[in-house]
Amino acid sequence: MTSPVKSSLEHQLKALLPRGRVLTSAAQLAGYGADGLGYKNHLPDAVVIPADAEELAGFMRGAKALGVPVVMRGAGTSLSGGPVAVQGGVVVHTSALKKIREINTEGFWCEVECGVGLNDLDAALKPYGVFYPPDPSSGPVCTLGGNVASNAGGAHCFRYGVTSNYVLGVEAIMLDGSLHRFGGPAGGRGPWREDWKRFMIGSEGTLAAFTRFWLRLLPLPEKVWTFRATYPDMKTTEAAIHALVAHSSYPAAIEMLDPRGVAMVESSQMACGLPEGSFMLLVEIDGPEALVNARVQSVAELLRQAGSNDVMFSDEEALRQKLWKARKASGGLLGQLSPSYVVQDAVIPKRALAEVLQLVYDEADAANIRAVNIFHAGDGNLHPNFLFDSRVPGELEKVELISKRLMQRVIEVGGTLSGEHGIGNDKSAYMPLVFGPDSMRLQLSVPAAFNPAHQMNPLKVFDNRHFVA
Amino acid sequence: MSTEAMTPDYFSNCTHCGFCLAVCPTYKLTGDENNSPRGRLRLWSEEAAGRLPQDKWTDFYTAECVGCLACETACPATVPYGEIFEHIRHEHVASHRFKPKLALRLAAAAVTRPMLFNLALLPARLLRKAGFKLHRFLFPGRPAALKSTAAYAEELMQRHRPTGPRVAFLTGCLMEAMFREINFATVRVLIENNVQVIIPESQGCCGAFQEHTGLDGVEALREQNRRAFGSLDVDAIVCNSSGCGYALGKTLQPGKQVRDVLGYLGDLSPVRRQRGRDDGTRVYVDLPCHLVHGQKAAGIPANVLDATGYRWELAPKAKDCCGSGGVYNIQKPENAHTILADKSAFLNEAKGAPVILGTSNHVCMMQWHSAGATGLVTRPFEVRHIIQLLDPGENFSIPSTSPQP
Repeated sequence: MTSPVKSSLEHQLKALLPRGRVLTSAAQLAGYGADGLGYKNHLPDAVVIPADAEELAGFMRGAKALGVPVVMRGAGTSLSGGPVAVQGGVVVHTSALKKIREINTEGFWCEVECGVGLNDLDAALKPYGVFYPPDPSSGPVCTLGGNVASNAGGAHCFRYGVTSNYVLGVEAIMLDGSLHRFGGPAGGRGPWREDWKRFMIGSEGTLAAFTRFWLRLLPLPEKVWTFRATYPDMKTTEAAIHALVAHSSYPAAIEMLDPRGVAMVESSQMACGLPEGSFMLLVEIDGPEALVNARVQSVAELLRQAGSNDVMFSDEEALRQKLWKARKASGGLLGQLSPSYVVQDAVIPKRALAEVLQLVYDEADAANIRAVNIFHAGDGNLHPNFLFDSRVPGELEKVELISKRLMQRVIEVGGTLSGEHGIGNDKSAYMPLVFGPDSMRLQLSVPAAFNPAHQMNPLKVFDNRHFVA
Repeated sequence: MSTEAMTPDYFSNCTHCGFCLAVCPTYKLTGDENNSPRGRLRLWSEEAAGRLPQDKWTDFYTAECVGCLACETACPATVPYGEIFEHIRHEHVASHRFKPKLALRLAAAAVTRPMLFNLALLPARLLRKAGFKLHRFLFPGRPAALKSTAAYAEELMQRHRPTGPRVAFLTGCLMEAMFREINFATVRVLIENNVQVIIPESQGCCGAFQEHTGLDGVEALREQNRRAFGSLDVDAIVCNSSGCGYALGKTLQPGKQVRDVLGYLGDLSPVRRQRGRDDGTRVYVDLPCHLVHGQKAAGIPANVLDATGYRWELAPKAKDCCGSGGVYNIQKPENAHTILADKSAFLNEAKGAPVILGTSNHVCMMQWHSAGATGLVTRPFEVRHIIQLLDPGENFSIPSTSPQP
């Protein structure tokens, strides 16, 4: 039975989107209840799929008058609940905005619409000998809109940096219908006095709807070498990580899989012969061929000296893929092991690595929850994965409790909440652990300045950010 | 697949990561998440859990699925999407939530009676042989009108007496009734490579037709083939249509391994065809979904493609669906046409004269042929089964260097 309110909403939406699609049936909303955190479900009142950027702009001009929350969504692969209508309202799915508008190889930038897929952009850039460095694991499907909204990172951001290092400009539409270009191909040197685009990056849909971006590109590295080494214990692994971080070869990626991750890979069809109980490090160096080739032996030697007698490396594509196999397979294997999992996303100073990992093991073991650590070791971006079954009463609560204790410790050791996944509504409860009331008030004033009623993606980042019609 | 009702548990290993979205033809077509594997699984599991009442939109999004199984390849959590989908589709047809088109219902009934089906399509075979353009899907060919593949194989076995490995060959229903020339070529290529070919007489349709339409009767067909193939003393069971191979493989597992004939030939390093030095032919190889995503084959072996003697390369997006989807191009012609439009566009500019689109599934061949017949591809091109490009013709002998038992 359709309520009069809902049917009026549908009517208004159809008027705003004459060419795009408006979904309002229960079975059309079901697919939009969750993001990559599949077990947290919040149904929107409607979903709209604008046909193009123009229609999205038209929608935004009329959205304020709808009087319901507006939630932007790319491919919905995020792991923090960002593109989900927690307070109901309209989900705006940007799947049709996937034009790569320009690739400028002279100026090393490109102009893309917000719905362009990350790997689609990579494929389009490759023939020009350029690339866009941020590389979250969801690359095959995630969109640049989502990447900018969550300031996504990835395996290679240890050297290359995260999304914010590559966004030259953001075009965004506010709820008052005004369209703004913060930066542009020339980067921050635009008409805005300060670096306003930086407000947009990582804003998790709380400020405006993004329509397009200007992104900085780099020349593709001439040469890439991939190393894989295993270590008998945390101490030697840590020694290797510290040595790598300080090494002049300046690795692009330092990835780690703990013994529980190794065991998971080795007991699956993706087994690749990693020793039982070992920690695995995956390292990549890249750059001009002569320079990188000259560094290969010193990196291998460093890995051995730290305590590995199992160092493999290659510059051949097929072999490099083999070395990456355990790391790349691990994310998916989690899904084979359990019906639900939570990936935490904390950043800690590297010196605290062993201590925080031990806490993860102790807490998870005590609660009888399986924990696997797969993460970006180079920059201390931890991703403990807690495997559970959301249908078993009490399991989610246990995981949430462990997560909270973990976050408390992360903050005690000088770390912070999110490396790359964003806060969403999954980590908003931990915000007061990091920020005092003054700091929270200051931060909350930013979305309030852009949309005073908090109509854009309410209840995200800040637990108390309600939309009041 | 059991016939028990779906329980919510069945869907539990979908973690909602979304990796299937990027490879799903109908998500790419519509940008609507409900029209993706993740969306459909959500609809079905919510309904199974009693949180979502039956809804015409659930029926719509279910019917939209091509069944290409690209999502199975992309899925890190190994959700058995194909199996779930097949079950749901059957349930939807059985409970009248979805009705396959009349032509498909008639055809599904006909394929269960091969003699009748062969007889009914005799005029079509004769007209194809005479060179008539009958339908946008019917690519040209010269099938034998009366002689069956089984009779032909027996004749060639007597004449050439191959001594190598023994294979049982599924001749298929539409393949035998309409595109028999491909079966004949398959027999010639196998025997030229010293393979002994056995064609079990009691074999029936693989059941793919019923699987694609959701109609009843699949279990009877499977049982028939388990009896026909299950106890044979052969080195392999081969199929020349990846969709049939996928269906028969599911039927006979565990126990018997069903191989795509091209993959099987790859193991033998097949006899190479010689082409003229100035032959400008270029073969663009498209990989059927049910070969790479269904049977999980890596592709068509390079040594087999090399053995065609032609210059070849993979078609762009070779692992993406062409829109045929078993019977999808009949059930949902508009979607199938749009999917094909994107996939076939490269042919207009493709290098080579002549240009051949080579694949290994007759249903894909029909779909590709329609790209020319409906004007999506405006330059001339031929659609051929890769086995036809290895065909030695009627006059061949088994080389002395062929594999021995």
